[in-house]
Amino acid sequence: MRGRSLPAASIFLLRNVTKAFGNVSVLKDINLRIDSGEQVALVGSSGAGKSTLIGLLNGTLYPTQGEVCTLGQNLTRLSATARRQIQREIGTIYQQFHLINNLRVIHNVNAGHLGRWTFTKALLSMFWPLEVELAQRALEQVGIPEKLYEMTGHLSGGQQQRVALARALVQDPKVILADEPIASLDPERGRELMDLLRDLSRTTHKTLVTSIHSVDFARSHFQRVIGLREGRICFDRAAHDVTPAMIEALYWIDRPGDVGVGGRWKD
Amino acid sequence: MEGLNDRALDGSARIAAMPRFSPFNRRTAWILAFLAVFLWSLGEAGVFDGPILNRGGWTLAWQFARAAVHPDLSADLARLTLESTFTTLAFAIAGTTLSIVFGLIFGVLSSEVFWQLIFPERSARRPVRHRAPLVVVRAGLAVPRAIHEAIWGLFFINILGLDPLVAVLAIGIPFGALTARVFAGILDETPREAMRALESSGVAPGKALLYGLLPQAFPDLLSYTFYRLECAIRAATVLGLIGAGGLGYQILLSLQSLRYEQVWTFLYALILLSALTDVWSSFLRRRFHLASRLDLHSKDRRRDYRADPVAKRSLQAMLVLIPLSFWYIEADFAKLFAPRTIHLLTGVIHDALPPRIDGGLLKSLFHLAAQTLSMSILAITLAGTVGLLLSFPAASNFQLPGGIFDHGGRSRVQVLTGPVIFIASRGVLLVLRGLSEAIWALVALFFLFPGILPGALGLGLYNMGILGRLMAEVTENVDHRPLRALQAQGASSAQVFLYGVLPTTLPRYLAYVLYRWDVCIRATIVVGFVGAGGIGRLLGEQMSSFDYRSVATSLIVMIGLTFGVDSLSSRIRRTLRV
Repeated sequence: MRGRSLPAASIFLLRNVTKAFGNVSVLKDINLRIDSGEQVALVGSSGAGKSTLIGLLNGTLYPTQGEVCTLGQNLTRLSATARRQIQREIGTIYQQFHLINNLRVIHNVNAGHLGRWTFTKALLSMFWPLEVELAQRALEQVGIPEKLYEMTGHLSGGQQQRVALARALVQDPKVILADEPIASLDPERGRELMDLLRDLSRTTHKTLVTSIHSVDFARSHFQRVIGLREGRICFDRAAHDVTPAMIEALYWIDRPGDVGVGGRWKD
Repeated sequence: MEGLNDRALDGSARIAAMPRFSPFNRRTAWILAFLAVFLWSLGEAGVFDGPILNRGGWTLAWQFARAAVHPDLSADLARLTLESTFTTLAFAIAGTTLSIVFGLIFGVLSSEVFWQLIFPERSARRPVRHRAPLVVVRAGLAVPRAIHEAIWGLFFINILGLDPLVAVLAIGIPFGALTARVFAGILDETPREAMRALESSGVAPGKALLYGLLPQAFPDLLSYTFYRLECAIRAATVLGLIGAGGLGYQILLSLQSLRYEQVWTFLYALILLSALTDVWSSFLRRRFHLASRLDLHSKDRRRDYRADPVAKRSLQAMLVLIPLSFWYIEADFAKLFAPRTIHLLTGVIHDALPPRIDGGLLKSLFHLAAQTLSMSILAITLAGTVGLLLSFPAASNFQLPGGIFDHGGRSRVQVLTGPVIFIASRGVLLVLRGLSEAIWALVALFFLFPGILPGALGLGLYNMGILGRLMAEVTENVDHRPLRALQAQGASSAQVFLYGVLPTTLPRYLAYVLYRWDVCIRATIVVGFVGAGGIGRLLGEQMSSFDYRSVATSLIVMIGLTFGVDSLSSRIRRTLRV
């Protein structure tokens, strides 16, 4: 190991990161390190900065101040090509799935290959799907192998989230990020998906970072829980060390009427 | 047996059993069918047999092109240009007004909601009583709609002579029938709760409609009216080309006397006029919260357009412009009911019946119908493919800062090229749709032999401008988040385009292309009139020789062709939607 390079195990390293949109600072002075193979839950009320943090981690957002090192590289300093090479090691799934509804499931799953495929190969696969067996296996893993050739927009929400997960599996990244993956699903589908995420992460040793509303899931399915409040890290503990008092402090409303029922749906 | 057991027991066996979808599916069948039809169209156009470029016209074409950089700007011509521009605008406004009056009356009469009010369904047993008058009115409207405004124009010239009424009626009647269909659709899709409430409290049907439904539908109706005005300016130019006066007429006169500098002055005026209406109309649509120009139902009914100063001023301006237009063109509506007009009209009807049926005419009409069809197919293919390519740089969310493909690359070149390409492609599309198909066909006739090809080129260029802009709007309404998701996992811009942008936009775009195909087949008439081939050319000749019995036959064939394309196009659109 060379002296100045980061330990290989570090997946994400954030130093004094602030992210502002216009005048509003959404994240303030965040210092964070996530290592290989960790299963991390991000909790906190809406507007606490969870989605913004996920965006910084997968490189769709850049910090206003400070430095984000992803797999040892600072994405802001890289060329587009080099950045894409890092990004292909990070798979993300989203609350609203963000699939292309007009494509068959096979193409949405195969979109996971895009970071590696040439344009010609991607074009060819549009007409004659390539890597069908791999896609089929990924769908098998998420429990919907029979949907391979269906139109994605025709699937239910739970099935679409599984397709999104299959896309991430085909991408075969080192890290899976999930931004409120179960917020659009009913409780039963939500539980199934959380189990799936946890098991996949354990069996394949992929790092998992998930933002989630449910504190119960955060404690039952993850090793480490990070609480965000108003853009700052409120606590960062092993899941079994998180106490009800910490949770209460995290969601505590300091000014009456400041975060009401309406405030919960801000994002 | 063995295989069955395997499948039941072992997941991996089930994987192998998943049938791959055949490459010979419905989509590829459509593609192959289209390619066959396209090749047939090229054959009809004579691309495969002999020269298509008319080298004799090249010197003229060169002179014409050179004149573009020094248009005639003399005071006399400037005054003439201004007058003709006003005339064209006044024709368009007066024609649109007439069409809106027709459209409102027949729109109500051809709406389901109206007949349901008149014949309320008291029991589920006889649910179809309101259908009968509805079907009659709708069928009656289909015929004037299928006849292109240029045919109406020639018809009224034969009866009224070169009178400003010609343009007003020729725009008003077909546009009125079209507007009626669209208005009926808007009325039927406007929420009915308010009207139902009035109805159930004993208000008479007419008043319930007036108070309960029309106010809600009004913003949508108004927005469509402005879109019709855009179209009417193009129509007014075309009518000028057949002699009704205004810019089109001046363009034709100068073109025939080879005064290309003058032609360009008029063309620039026309482009400017179209561009201004276009921009005004799309600005208003945005104010009314309509996402695209074919989008007829505003998303947000709560916001009051009357509170919007621009919308309000536009309405006031229209209210002033309408009487001004009728005054400017000096239309004498009394002439419509003069004994001479009625005498001529009955004479024409008498002359036209029965339609001529002889072998020679039918044979040539069959041949010309095939040519007309192939012209429309070539035109829409050209418009669809090139329009698609032009549409992406013309979308405001494409490479401009903050767009889909803006990666924050902030080199000085990139900061400049984005806006330059955007403005250039928008400008090209604006000019393409600013001049009508007939003028583009006239330009094409400089270097192509008369026939299908210049007609297809004329129609293609004009529709390219329209489709490109429509498609840009589709792209502008695309949800960015799935595209960002693809980018986040390392896909390149070209790949994001292929896997994200195209699949999301293409189905909608194809629907637009098919809709424009409808319009194209009707418009083949106009390019035929100016000398390209097809039924239009024959019809023009028959009209000017007052051979009304043959005109009737040609019209029947043309209407049949229009209905055929219309039903085929809406059928394909339905399969696309599924």
